[in-house]
Amino acid sequence: MNTALVIAANTISEAMRRKILNAFLMVGLAVIVFMFAFSTFSARQELTLIKGMGLGIISLAGLFISVILSIYLIPTELERRTIYTILSKPVTRYQFLLGKYLGAIGTVAINIVLMGILFVAAVAIKQITGQQPVDAPLLFKGILMTLMQMILLCSLSVFLSVFTPPLINFFATISLFIIGSMSAITYDLAKSQTNVIAKGFFTAIHYIVPNFGNFTFTNPLINPGVQVTSEALFLTQNVIYAIVYSAVLLIIAVLVFDRKEV
Amino acid sequence: MAFSTQQKNQLIGSAAVLMLAVAGLQNRIDPLRNQKALEPKSATGAALGGAGGAARLPFEYTLGALTGFRQVIAGLLWVRTDTFFHSGNYDAVLPMIRMITWLDPNWLDVYATGAWHLMYNFTDTDQRSDRRYLGPGMALLNEAIANNPNVYDPYKEKGWNSFDKLKDYDLASEALAQGEKADPKYDITQVGHLLAHSLERAGRIDDSIAQWKSVIAEHKKRISAPGVSAEEKGRNESGLRSSTENWRHLQIRKQVRAINTQPPIDVEFTAKVTRLKPRVLKIEGTWRCWGTAGKSFDMGTLEKPGKGVLIAGPTDGARVDVRLQDAGYEMQTSDTFSFDIDQTITIMQDQISTRDGKLAEKGGLYVAAGKTANTADRAAQNVNVYQFADGQVKQFGLGAVPLSRGLAQLSPLGKRQAVSVAYPLAYNSPTPFYSDTDTATKFAELSKDAAKLADLDKKGYHVSQMTVEKPGEYSRQFDMSKDPTMYSFSKDKYELILSLNPRIFPDNIQDRFGYSGEGLTDKNYLFTDAKKKNLRMIRRVITLSKADLIGTGEKVLVAK
Repeated sequence: MNTALVIAANTISEAMRRKILNAFLMVGLAVIVFMFAFSTFSARQELTLIKGMGLGIISLAGLFISVILSIYLIPTELERRTIYTILSKPVTRYQFLLGKYLGAIGTVAINIVLMGILFVAAVAIKQITGQQPVDAPLLFKGILMTLMQMILLCSLSVFLSVFTPPLINFFATISLFIIGSMSAITYDLAKSQTNVIAKGFFTAIHYIVPNFGNFTFTNPLINPGVQVTSEALFLTQNVIYAIVYSAVLLIIAVLVFDRKEV
Repeated sequence: MAFSTQQKNQLIGSAAVLMLAVAGLQNRIDPLRNQKALEPKSATGAALGGAGGAARLPFEYTLGALTGFRQVIAGLLWVRTDTFFHSGNYDAVLPMIRMITWLDPNWLDVYATGAWHLMYNFTDTDQRSDRRYLGPGMALLNEAIANNPNVYDPYKEKGWNSFDKLKDYDLASEALAQGEKADPKYDITQVGHLLAHSLERAGRIDDSIAQWKSVIAEHKKRISAPGVSAEEKGRNESGLRSSTENWRHLQIRKQVRAINTQPPIDVEFTAKVTRLKPRVLKIEGTWRCWGTAGKSFDMGTLEKPGKGVLIAGPTDGARVDVRLQDAGYEMQTSDTFSFDIDQTITIMQDQISTRDGKLAEKGGLYVAAGKTANTADRAAQNVNVYQFADGQVKQFGLGAVPLSRGLAQLSPLGKRQAVSVAYPLAYNSPTPFYSDTDTATKFAELSKDAAKLADLDKKGYHVSQMTVEKPGEYSRQFDMSKDPTMYSFSKDKYELILSLNPRIFPDNIQDRFGYSGEGLTDKNYLFTDAKKKNLRMIRRVITLSKADLIGTGEKVLVAK
């Protein structure tokens, strides 16, 4: 495990060298712009806009960081032939893969957490200066869900990267993200179909494709008065879902990578 | 070092077991996720198009909305909507509201702003609302309530729009009462106070009194709530003061109006309708609009109510409601908002103020005001002294006896009028005029004061030789020719409804006619509305043809 952690640490420092944190700076800039962009609206509308846009941009930034980082994790090592050096040492393939993955999610987590702290602090300042009730810390629930969504997305991308080139992986990951985000529709379609084959197809999609739509938690955070039933249970189940599904994808990726010709 | 076959099998087995666990977990997540608070079904409606496809998101927005960026898209659309609004592109705002409320059915401000926009901002050249949008506006609020049943805001909006725009106080009361019940954190001023006012205007006086009592209790509760902020406390203290005052006044008025409104006044309502040009009508007429004169209302206290109206007479302020619409039209309401309206419907609604009613009693005072008769000063108003132009003095036979020469002819009212205008009481005086004893003393003083009498003569004060009443007049021209899309006159038959509704009269006029028209009657046009707790109102319905309205040349359509 220590070996995997060493590789993870290296992956993070390499990502930092590639100035991946610039994404955080960009989002920071966007958040600062948001703080002043909607001042013509009423205080409540302004806050709704800032919260909605802020959570959205963190999610979008997280999406791109996750995908771009993950699709190049393995192919870059193969292309540079550094993988041969690593694997010639007492490092197993699964340790290598796991290390790279942990490095990727570590980088994503650092970015999302920094973006989240900046965003929540900005909203809190806005609320304090506007003499409004301060509920900004609740936004961390949405940031947690974004983080778990990105952890799952990274594992999907790493899984695909062991047998597809980066470009194909990019489109495949984005496509599966879109399909998985639309799981509310596939769920409804599965329930409403009378044709057995169609019902089976949509049911399979709903259960097999990673369900990225599960992690959408913006509505109760930006609209006062919206109450979610069993919120704690819902959030906990989603965290477990992301971890377990990521584990499944990593196991399959390890098995494929183990047989891969490098 | 590769995995052994056994290790591989173990890993495959683990993956299969974990995948089953994932499916099981998804089964547990689905019902929680399926709640409206997280995943409103209408969001897909926005993406896939609704209302006959009239409001459909562009592809890139659809993709964004369906991949978890609903609120971002809704926010972007709202910002765009704001620019449409400020550039005067009102029509473009409507599909945006449709899409945003689909995307984010919990965004309360969009419903509130959207309903306000529909119900207030579409107007004709003379700033009259396009009432065809009232139905869609109410439908939007019904949708807001359906999507946010536990928040008071949409109920408040429905209540306010019903109160202010539709003047449907039963509907307002119903919505506001629901709002109070639905959300314990309701705004007490916006919901609780407005509910009391709505109940009063709906003619439910006892319910209104009870509501004020409940509002007072709620204010007290909120003032003494643990951890209440200074701002919240201050707001509730102010609310407590005004609600206590309203509660007290309503009870006193209820008692005195039972007496003051009898016997009913025959308002002798008349109307004349003339077509001046195609689509241009002049509506005019008279009626006896009576109310409390100036400050002449004795409130008293709750323990010992005053007499109420001390002097009543013709007054300005009440309005005649005018509505021209397709024959038999009734506003349709729905629970689903669509911004499409039937362009063939014609509705014009407005009000005409009533003014210039006058009274001169034999032995009382009047002011001869030269060629034009303006409003008399405050002291004169308090004692029913009206101004008459020279022509009117002659027309009504009031006589031209100056006060100094007519002292002996003065009636008791005339004496009170004379001392009131000669020695005006301070503005903040607790009584509007002198008591009987003081009147006698002051009148004796005035009789000896030649200079004062000369001054009053100079101001035009005369002693009336006749008792004459000139009813209030209303007159207004309605030009519908400049807005042909709003007033298409597509139908063959129309109804012009002229009405007087005591429930919306100002307090000083309601003091004489009562909450529900108890003090009002008319030989020809009294209408008792059983659906509105037997509201007694004046209602005259005139049937007009399309030719009457769009024909050329001046024509009197209805003579008095």
